[in-house]
Amino acid sequence: MAQPQAAAKTQNVVNEDEPAEKAPDTKLYEELGELARFIDTTMKTLSEFSAPVNASTEQLPQAQTHLLNLKTQTEQGTHRVMLEVEAIQDNHAQISKMLKEMTQTFQQAKVSPAFIQQMQTLGQALGQDDKRLLDIMTALSFQDLVAQSVNKLVTILDEVEHKLLQLVVVFGPYQKQAAKTDQGKASEMLKQLEATKNTSMDQDLADEILKQFGFN
Amino acid sequence: MPADPNMKILVVDDMSTMRRIVKNILKQLGFNNLEEAENGQEALTKLKADTYGFVVSDWNMPVMMGIDMLRAIRADEKLKKIPVLMVTAEAQKENLMEAVQAGVSNYVVKPFTAETMQEKINKIFK
Repeated sequence: MAQPQAAAKTQNVVNEDEPAEKAPDTKLYEELGELARFIDTTMKTLSEFSAPVNASTEQLPQAQTHLLNLKTQTEQGTHRVMLEVEAIQDNHAQISKMLKEMTQTFQQAKVSPAFIQQMQTLGQALGQDDKRLLDIMTALSFQDLVAQSVNKLVTILDEVEHKLLQLVVVFGPYQKQAAKTDQGKASEMLKQLEATKNTSMDQDLADEILKQFGFN
Repeated sequence: MPADPNMKILVVDDMSTMRRIVKNILKQLGFNNLEEAENGQEALTKLKADTYGFVVSDWNMPVMMGIDMLRAIRADEKLKKIPVLMVTAEAQKENLMEAVQAGVSNYVVKPFTAETMQEKINKIFK
């Protein structure tokens, strides 16, 4: 409130055609002093805000890089496991084929039925392991979900960084409240993440809905 | 009509790990004629250039989303009858409704099992 009064008084001083030798207006000096102290305090407050905001802004690209590295590492690790699983699957396919051929040969040669039974049991065990390998393969789809979450987080961080830079460079910390009204893509992504946590369907629910549309 | 094991299947996903998983499952189910695309746009180009019997697609992809690709397929006289199975983490009811309205053949929610995928393929080609 001191600022407009001081400005008005300053205006008066400029406009009034007072003699130069008149005694200084002590009240005006007091108000000008108050205004100077207010500006000084504001500048200090601004600088106190700027440092942490700047530091946070500088750290955000690092956080984004770490997240993208995390995505790459999980992707590479997943491919590594898949490579091994596929190698075992290929081996199993060959062993399974050989077992069948050997079983046929032994049956034609009238080898002991007990021995043939053992070979068939071996084939069944291989089949069970193949199923486990397929389960391992499908379980690796976690990487896709991780990657999608990371992508959303990177977008959020990018948006936050942009907003922080705006605060530092353009608006200053006193307009933080105004920034809240325009939350943009980051807010949408956060909502999506939250929504995914709270309302995502499992396959059973999806199937229920599909049934209602005649998917039987 | 049961699925033809020789039909050409297009697997569409921007994540290489998911393409590999879906292809592996399809291979284990007896399908060996498998192609892949990284997004809806690339998929449409491939679909128009060749004859495919089945499309397995993700929803959330850059360049062109799976749902937009599905609409483009259903709007194309030559492609509209190709069955499209959506395999997606977009697990909101609204997404499912949107996919049904766009003409999806069936819908699998990630994470999924090989059994679920087999069941859905059997239903599509029964």
